[in-house]
Amino acid sequence: MSAETVQTVIDNLGALLLFTMILIVAAGQIYRAIYAVAAQSFLIAVAGGVLATATGNVDLWVIAGITLTVKAIVLPWVLHWVVRRMNVRREIEPVIPDAATLALAVVVVVLSFHLSASLGPVRQAITGNALPVGISLTLSGVLVMATRKTALTQMVGLFASENGIFFTAMAVTQGMPLIIEIGVILDVILAALVMAIMVLRVRSTVDADIADLEELRG
Amino acid sequence: MIGERSLVLVLLELALLVLLGPLVTGTIQKLKARLQSRQGAGLLQPYRDLAKLFRKGTVQADTTSGFFRSIPVLVLAATMAAGALVPVIRAGPPAVPLGDALMLLGLLALARFLTSVGALDAGGAFGGMGASREMTIAPLVEPVLMMVVFSAAVVAGTTELGALAAHRGTSWILGWHAADFLGFAAMLVLLPAETGRIPVDNPDTHLELTMLHEGMLLEHSGPGLGCMVLASHTRQIVTLGLVSALFFPAAVAGAGAVSLLLGAGAFAVKILVLAVYLALVESSYAKLRLFRVPLYLGIGFVCALTALALRIL
Repeated sequence: MSAETVQTVIDNLGALLLFTMILIVAAGQIYRAIYAVAAQSFLIAVAGGVLATATGNVDLWVIAGITLTVKAIVLPWVLHWVVRRMNVRREIEPVIPDAATLALAVVVVVLSFHLSASLGPVRQAITGNALPVGISLTLSGVLVMATRKTALTQMVGLFASENGIFFTAMAVTQGMPLIIEIGVILDVILAALVMAIMVLRVRSTVDADIADLEELRG
Repeated sequence: MIGERSLVLVLLELALLVLLGPLVTGTIQKLKARLQSRQGAGLLQPYRDLAKLFRKGTVQADTTSGFFRSIPVLVLAATMAAGALVPVIRAGPPAVPLGDALMLLGLLALARFLTSVGALDAGGAFGGMGASREMTIAPLVEPVLMMVVFSAAVVAGTTELGALAAHRGTSWILGWHAADFLGFAAMLVLLPAETGRIPVDNPDTHLELTMLHEGMLLEHSGPGLGCMVLASHTRQIVTLGLVSALFFPAAVAGAGAVSLLLGAGAFAVKILVLAVYLALVESSYAKLRLFRVPLYLGIGFVCALTALALRIL
């Protein structure tokens, strides 16, 4: 594959990633957010495959495969399982109105494009729009974490944010050392498991939510 | 700029759009019926409805002004004029300057405005309610449509739809830029709103309080209602034609009858695909509460804005 083709494909994947991010931010039901984050991880895996073909880096194939199995299939399944166990329907519960979150997401996307345009030579070294897209995914993920009250949606935000970092890292370094990538993935799995267990435990023992913890007195 | 579509061709395309408009509605209704495990009415039912309406006499409320009678004709005229701007069979600018995509959106907005004025003029409660809601939704839809058009127009350097379509060329799927994906996503979000379908509007009923467009037609009857219904069929196919001209045009070169037939066939396929999409969305989603609609349209707005940002930044 020529460099231009790779750049176009990465650009297009970046646009689709942004679209899934918008869906996550705007999702009114947790199921949709989970599906959107699964689709996002799938796209990241595709991007990994494309970069692997372009650079001939075998590690990238491994990473793409791990991303596909762990982040696109297993983790969404775990989230889905927790949602079913807790038997909740619509628990997005935003701190600020949905429309305001969407508006903030727009600001984040536009600003990250604007800022990375000012980077100049650094920007040139990176494939396509990967840097601004990665930054906006990361920051929007943080935005989702900050504006939702329930732990599950915050987990979705964490995954999206992690996806953004992963995408940037892949595109910037043309493949990080395998051991680092695997470490990152393990961290995410561990975080997901801890959060899932904690959410279930907290719910089953005291029937409280993350937002209620603020009212604890020492 | 050399005109590539003669006036005859433009008129032919316009006639095709108006004639096929009811068929698209019929197809969507049939698909919906099949998805709900019903037999459904035939594909030609909208034509039969129109024929019946045009044979009937007119009844109108005492409170209406003289302007009310002319409203259906004006709405139909504005919508058909918008239809003339859509390249159907062949891409490329028309031989005579007609207008561009902004003109098209303006004409559709004019038709919408006239419809609401007619609904308010009759003085019925339902009409007024429908008009007020339509006027709430419209300002959210139209700017986003314009932004999608702009995001395509920035590259082509023109807002003339035929030239835009020609610029994209036949190999559109390979030439899709990142912004096109987002623009197309925005368009898919907006399509149900612009064609008056679930989850924004419900075209099947005018009995609920959720209605938008159907509520405004309540006071019309006979040939006037026929004109309004035909206008909404035409509006739907014009919107679908706008989408296909912006995102997957068929720029068939050559003049012969074969290429014309090929262009018409390609157009039919594209409209069919979009109609299937609309039918699927309508069958799988519930109508949104009115206060949820702005958020739904907000997704389209953010997508369009991001597409524009990708183009410019």
